[in-house]
Amino acid sequence: MPGDHRRIRGPEESQPPQLYATGEGEAPAPRDPARLRPVYARAGLLSQAKGSAYLEAGGTKVLCAVSGPRPAEGGERGGGPAGAGGEAPAALRGRLLCDFRRAPFSGRRRRAPPSGGEERELALALQEALEPAVRLGRYPRAQLEVSALLLEDGGSALAAALTAAALALADAGVEMYDLVVGCGLSRAPAPAPTWLLDPTLLEEERAAAGLTVALMPVLNQVAGLLGSGEGGPTESWAEAVRLGLEGCQRLYPVLQQCLVRAARRRGAAAPL
Amino acid sequence: EDLRVDGRGCEDYRCVEVETDVVSNTSGSARVKLGHTDILVGVKAEMGTPKLEKPNEGYLEFFVDCSASATPEFEGRGGDDLGTEIANTLYRIFNKSSVDLESLCISPREHCWALYVDVLLLECGGNLFDAISIAVKAALFNTRIPRVRVLEDEEGSKDIELSDDPYDCIQLSVENVPCIVTLCKIGYRHVVDATLQEEACSLASLLVSVTSKGVVTCMRKVGKGSLDPESIFEMLETGKRVGKVLHASLQSILHKEESLGPKRQKVGFLG
Repeated sequence: MPGDHRRIRGPEESQPPQLYATGEGEAPAPRDPARLRPVYARAGLLSQAKGSAYLEAGGTKVLCAVSGPRPAEGGERGGGPAGAGGEAPAALRGRLLCDFRRAPFSGRRRRAPPSGGEERELALALQEALEPAVRLGRYPRAQLEVSALLLEDGGSALAAALTAAALALADAGVEMYDLVVGCGLSRAPAPAPTWLLDPTLLEEERAAAGLTVALMPVLNQVAGLLGSGEGGPTESWAEAVRLGLEGCQRLYPVLQQCLVRAARRRGAAAPL
Repeated sequence: EDLRVDGRGCEDYRCVEVETDVVSNTSGSARVKLGHTDILVGVKAEMGTPKLEKPNEGYLEFFVDCSASATPEFEGRGGDDLGTEIANTLYRIFNKSSVDLESLCISPREHCWALYVDVLLLECGGNLFDAISIAVKAALFNTRIPRVRVLEDEEGSKDIELSDDPYDCIQLSVENVPCIVTLCKIGYRHVVDATLQEEACSLASLLVSVTSKGVVTCMRKVGKGSLDPESIFEMLETGKRVGKVLHASLQSILHKEESLGPKRQKVGFLG
């Protein structure tokens, strides 16, 4: 039978029992729209990766690993005008390859690993958000591989993956202009359409619209933006972006501390 | 000073040519030429089974093919990545209120219409997303889905009957189908409808999908650079303004073309 022989798939027609459950289920509890869930972040935990980070925010658990710089595949292209600061010419800049994977047990329904479109889209979103922050001109003809693995989806998974990936890149010692902090938002459906910061899985599932913002806090530049749904007029989206940026700024000190601790641990473990 | 290389202002589109019903084997088709960008969209309506979570609705499937004739970079598998990116964006911009999916249902849980929207990139001349969304909207406007009836037998088995009249069809309402407006940031200003050269100068762009009523359904940042928060808010406003104008002119053109009826001159390709 054609297909992926390495993984054992369930029978084709299997469904989770929740599909047949009666009743609406619990409604999400009312809460302060601008509350951020407490975050646990740790960098430098995988021994085999150049840099790694683990981030937990509420129920969302993401593990990210960075490897490289490795020589890039693909032909050599001619040089162009050199950038400032001794960077490589534009055509010889390094590349960032991002991969986003969901564990099959991360969501409510089991998803067989090659789930196609959505993971490709999120990997592209990761790449577009991380590229402004990494000084790729300092890694000519090299590629950096970032792979994010979502262990459990508890809401705002892409935002958590972005933050974890930036931490992992910093932990790997890759030259960056700034960290990238991600924040998720979702809009509750009518009758009370407010934008909620850092939604849980329940709030995200019932949402009319969702948005993920990635900010470089020190430079105050938006590195990534991805949102869709029935968000309403542009003023509503603008308000959501502002709320998201504020959330990113609040998250920044936690990540700074995490990197400092990781550096101390590395220093203590190194032979004197 | 609001002046670009080809003489346009920052918010002006190039001349757009839209023609529908170009391919006769499809349920609906459209061809859009925006400067040097050429897109062909064909919609085929086929009968399928509704998805498990939404038993009362039909569905739309998007597929984008970047043909090798568009630019030399698309030779072989090169265009696949761009094709999946565009298809994913199309899935994102269509939400529950864009197309009335319940009208595509024939019998709940058993049969429904599946609309396969296939986009073909014939020539790439900058601003792909905008041209593709215009073409998809025009093709959906042109789609004619045959009317079917479900007949119940005495034993309870259902039979599907297609009406005999080939012109007895249902048309989709494309009032709420959104269009994408790509705003490229060049220097401190942003421009709408960038050509290939302008896209090469721009480090970051914002893709906004707007409906005719000015409701934004999707927002995405594309490109290697970063954007200032203030410019994002400005770009959103510009996108909404430009989008409304785009929708108004597209609607009037489509209605005008349809009213010409079967006697209209078909320009077709290389016209």
